Amino acid sequence: MSDGPLIVQSDKTLLLEVDHPLADAARRAIAPFAELERAPEHVHTYRLTPLGLWNARAAGHDAEQVVNVLLAFSRYSVPHALLVDVAETMSRYGRLQLSKHPVHGLVLTSTDRAVLAEVLKSKRTAGLVGDRIDEDTVVVHASERGHLKQVLLKLGWPAEDLAGYVDGEKHPIALSPTDPAHGDSPWEMRPYQEHAVDGFWHGGSGVVVLPCGAGKTIVGAGAMARSGTTTLILVTNTVSARQWRDELLRRTTLTSDEIGEYSGARKEVRPVTIATYQVLTTKRKGVYTHLELLDARDWGLVIYDEVHLLPAPIFRMTANLQARRRLGLTATLVREDGREDEVFSLIGPKRYDAPWKDIEAQGYIAPADCVEVRLTLPERDRMLYATAEPEDKYRLAACAPGKNALVSQLVAQHEGEPTLVIGQYIDQLEELADHLGADIITGATPVRERQRLFDAFRTGEITKLVVSKVANFSIDLPEASVAIQVSGSFGSRQEEAQRLGRIMRPKTDGRTAHFYAIVSRDTVDQDFAAHRQRFLAEQGYAYRIVDADDLTVG
Amino acid sequence: MVTFSDWLCARSDAELVALLSHRADLASPSPSTLLSLAARATSRASLQRATTALDAAHLMVLESVAVLDSLGEIVTTERVVAAIAAEPAIANDATTIPTLLEDLTDTALLWQSHPGIYRPAPGIEETLDAYPAGLGPALLPRDGRPDTAILQAPDAPAGARAILAALQWGPPVGRIPSASDSPTAAAIGWLIDRGFVRQVDAHHVMLPREIALDLRSGRTHRGLPPAPALPEPTLTQATIDAESARAAQEIVRRVAEVISTWQVAPAPALKAGGLGVRELRRLAQQLEVDELTTAFVVELALMTGLVTSDGADPASFAPTVEADEWLAADLPARWAALASAWCPSARAPWLVGSRDDRGALRSALEPELHRMWVPRLRSELLRVLAQAPRAAVHADAVVAVLTWRSPRSVPPHAAVVALLREANLLGITGAHSLAIGGHVLAAAPPLTVPDDATRLALAGSLTQTLPEAVDELLLQGDLTGIVPGRPTPELEALLTESTEVESRGAGVTVRFTAASVTRALDAGRTADELLTELTQHSRAAIPQPLDYLVHDAARRHGQVRLGVAASYVRVDDPVLLAGLVDDPKLASLGLFSLAPTVLAATAPAAQLLTALRERGLAPAMEDPDGNVVYADLRAAYVRLPTRRGRRAGQHSRSVDGSPERALSAPERTERLRGLVARLREQSHLTQARRTQGAPSLAAIPAASGTGGGPGTSDPLVALGLLREAAADGREVWLDMVGPAGGITRRRVRPLRIDAGRLRAVDVARESEITVAVHRVAGVEHVAESD
Repeated sequence: MSDGPLIVQSDKTLLLEVDHPLADAARRAIAPFAELERAPEHVHTYRLTPLGLWNARAAGHDAEQVVNVLLAFSRYSVPHALLVDVAETMSRYGRLQLSKHPVHGLVLTSTDRAVLAEVLKSKRTAGLVGDRIDEDTVVVHASERGHLKQVLLKLGWPAEDLAGYVDGEKHPIALSPTDPAHGDSPWEMRPYQEHAVDGFWHGGSGVVVLPCGAGKTIVGAGAMARSGTTTLILVTNTVSARQWRDELLRRTTLTSDEIGEYSGARKEVRPVTIATYQVLTTKRKGVYTHLELLDARDWGLVIYDEVHLLPAPIFRMTANLQARRRLGLTATLVREDGREDEVFSLIGPKRYDAPWKDIEAQGYIAPADCVEVRLTLPERDRMLYATAEPEDKYRLAACAPGKNALVSQLVAQHEGEPTLVIGQYIDQLEELADHLGADIITGATPVRERQRLFDAFRTGEITKLVVSKVANFSIDLPEASVAIQVSGSFGSRQEEAQRLGRIMRPKTDGRTAHFYAIVSRDTVDQDFAAHRQRFLAEQGYAYRIVDADDLTVG
Repeated sequence: MVTFSDWLCARSDAELVALLSHRADLASPSPSTLLSLAARATSRASLQRATTALDAAHLMVLESVAVLDSLGEIVTTERVVAAIAAEPAIANDATTIPTLLEDLTDTALLWQSHPGIYRPAPGIEETLDAYPAGLGPALLPRDGRPDTAILQAPDAPAGARAILAALQWGPPVGRIPSASDSPTAAAIGWLIDRGFVRQVDAHHVMLPREIALDLRSGRTHRGLPPAPALPEPTLTQATIDAESARAAQEIVRRVAEVISTWQVAPAPALKAGGLGVRELRRLAQQLEVDELTTAFVVELALMTGLVTSDGADPASFAPTVEADEWLAADLPARWAALASAWCPSARAPWLVGSRDDRGALRSALEPELHRMWVPRLRSELLRVLAQAPRAAVHADAVVAVLTWRSPRSVPPHAAVVALLREANLLGITGAHSLAIGGHVLAAAPPLTVPDDATRLALAGSLTQTLPEAVDELLLQGDLTGIVPGRPTPELEALLTESTEVESRGAGVTVRFTAASVTRALDAGRTADELLTELTQHSRAAIPQPLDYLVHDAARRHGQVRLGVAASYVRVDDPVLLAGLVDDPKLASLGLFSLAPTVLAATAPAAQLLTALRERGLAPAMEDPDGNVVYADLRAAYVRLPTRRGRRAGQHSRSVDGSPERALSAPERTERLRGLVARLREQSHLTQARRTQGAPSLAAIPAASGTGGGPGTSDPLVALGLLREAAADGREVWLDMVGPAGGITRRRVRPLRIDAGRLRAVDVARESEITVAVHRVAGVEHVAESD
């Protein structure tokens, strides 16, 4: 029995004690096959999943290595059944292989006839595969490559994809050696960004998970430079598209002629094209009118920004793009709809993941102080709340009038620091903007006006901004250091994390960022807040909880 | 001529003690004489029992001797070796066979008519297979014995030899093809005509014993069956013990959980006495295991005497007083109690969920769910596992070994699978190999409740393998806590009370929720007490969110109060209630004030109504909507329910079939020695009487002591004599009770005794007679001079 940092539980979770001297070695050793589930201060929880084990197989690790790592770092003896299960699970990978056949095109071959017979018998594979060529080989319709892989994964016999990628149309892209925004001073990718690009490139396709503000765009740029091909970038909205464009101009040798925007406003197809999810999913008369964009060029790389938001139609389109390299970028791979698995099977497995606190410790994102402020509702409001219909309760609690006073108090406390007030309900936000005398950005604000306000905020012309959920993602406001959240979309964990992300760019003076969530005590608001905070709490962001009254004193 | 009983009487005391200890059924109840011992030893039941206990090699030797003897051969050790031992390559057989013969002689399944000449105990052949050694019955006296040389003759049909070869090693019965003109049919016809095979009916032929033996060149078998090999060691003892320790912790925790669930809410029993499917499923969900495992957990609790049916009507299952003692013990002691109870128990939990002969679903804990052979199988299983240390042993290997060990009673495969599973769940095995605790059990005397020393050794074995208990809790900001190891009992108790367990294994992950903290507060802790206790176990300070959570839960705890009342009084004018609460005359109503205008009472509404009326108030009853209901006091009338249920006590049957504590080995030997001495004394008396001229062996007064008239005899002794005579082909005087009750004496040569009938040749009339055994009044040897 060694004194290792790892405790292997029978339910396939791995507990890693972070303060242990061998913790780092253990973390590196288990990272290829175990999913990081929680990373609070003392003990990180990893989980062994079939998907994770298969990804490890795909990356060239075998069951023996996995077993050895577990045995080497485990403090107590490892459950025998778990080791057997790991070996058994990993042996399922690769019995089926997708490959190119000189005559028949894409084929599915098997080293185990029984397995092939089993999957072909399943109703789910019907229509995805064509004729049987011989005992071990069956033709696969090229367009169903992604779909078939997904189905095989669900059947528990993941296929090893040896069919490779199309090279795509060559287009030289390089990272610019200097940073024009900082007086042409030289710059390099940060070590973790390099690792992320390497991890992605070796894996072929996949998802990179990095905290907000940690420079995911640069990872995208690095991948493009490595690929050196025409690239299609899919982003959430137009503002974000413009930010990508600016960042690419700054970080790469690309010129503005080479970058096109394909959005509601403009329809440009250039060697590097940035398109919004919205325009791709627009339907006219029941058909997607902009689908041809996907085939407009021989894209060598497709980048999905914020993959946790990928809408269902994009999933379906992605299934047809299996022959092209795909890179997914996100800070928070949690979806309340539980479709993380589809992201993994269609875009690719997680290729790189770093705990937020690690990046923070390296100084690449600002340290953040998270506070939950609990507001006790006055008697009258409590009665109103208690008798309200269940569907109205959250709105009632979230929009409690007492919150306005609290917000002004907090804003006053951080006078002079760039402050964002974020909320869900437009009425509430307008009232707040009035109350604070601040500008407001909602979905109704025109893009031009939005950009004007964001620019003013960036330059410090205004320090207060009230924003709705339009600012949840991909809005780069480097100097914002205080965020006050008054309401949110129910219990969304990733929304909370993304909102915190707005203030996590490292500050020039190394200031701590402050994140306040104002919740009404003893209401569903409080319950939702608890759920919303889970992702961040599991990343090690412990919320302090204070009473609204104590805030006055402090 | 020496008979079996003579031989037995001539055995030395030590040999008799050995016999009685090998064949326990011969000694209980104690036989009265050596002769009745001999009779009992040749009774069908006893022989069956003894042959059932034989392993494949012994059985083969016994068969061989029986077969050779039946053909009148003189069976010496050399003859048996020649009949069995395979190629010279397996020379081992030749050296083993004498030992096997000796073993069989020790157990009186064989005896020696002359030194070195073995004979089977009378009646053996009836207990063997229909075709012992794959051989058919012997030739009839009238059949001629064909010369096997003619098989080689050119006119022999082509198929004849092939047919004989197919029948030669048994089974000796062949089917005649339906097409009568086929070459095979012709060959068979040829064989029948020459007497090689005998036609038994229209469709079958049989190869007689002698011919088969000739064809086998005098061999009865093709070599001793080798004992099946057990798997090779592949595991380390550390792995096995760690697995077993893990399982032991789990099973103890689960049993404790069953107790803690049922002590609050006993589980209702079915009418037939078991635990219903729905109840089992609910429990399975709570224990987070499948239903079969749950059934085992509750059955284990029952075996250990921790839960039982309360015998009430309707019955329910609840913990016993012993459960308290068990709960108070430490983990190793608790586990030792479970493991010791499992071993000798006859319960068969794996049958839960299957259907009985009437198609009814068998349920857990039902009284009928035990099988008498289960304890033996459990202990055999342990001993097999003990022979394969550090090897992963699966059911097939165990069944193979047990089949070799007792081919005549092969355990059901499903039972072996289930028992191995139980052993794994219980931690007697780990990773399918016997753990040290299991070795302790395997070494303990079989079929008995393990004694205190064994229990201590069991507990010790677990203490050795359990990882060190950890008293540290790592509290984290996301409201989880982690114990990096096995929690100490105090920590475990604290966590059970105040958290939800998220993951278990080598360590424990728990989560604090508002509900779990409230549960701790419900149990009587205050927020500060809880936090202090947590601090004592935590290396770092309590994270702020947790501190807040506990205080917040404490703030909300008890905001809503409730109490018990049977009725209430409500007024608009508080004056009306003045003095009611303090009035001693109304004390029996149990009035107490809830608000200035509301009183509650512990007395029922009707009583309250009467009392207030008497006091001169004019109360009116109201329904929940506040409407006045007019005094309908029927609710207060007394009615007793009639009892139509089953009689009480019907559920009080014992549900566990575990055996009594047996005698220890030295005690048993001592007892057997005493018995042999008594028998010997009896035998000397008999000898004395015989020399005095008493002609009849059978006339010795039997244990019944009826003595008296000629021809009365101990029926067992009589049967023994008949069997002996049948085996030796000797004649006896037979006293039979006639239809009218009179006794007739005939001189007969017994042929066969089975199914309660004696077939014998009446020597005087030269005809075969069949006599029901219960008509046999006495048997006497025919004196040599007759």
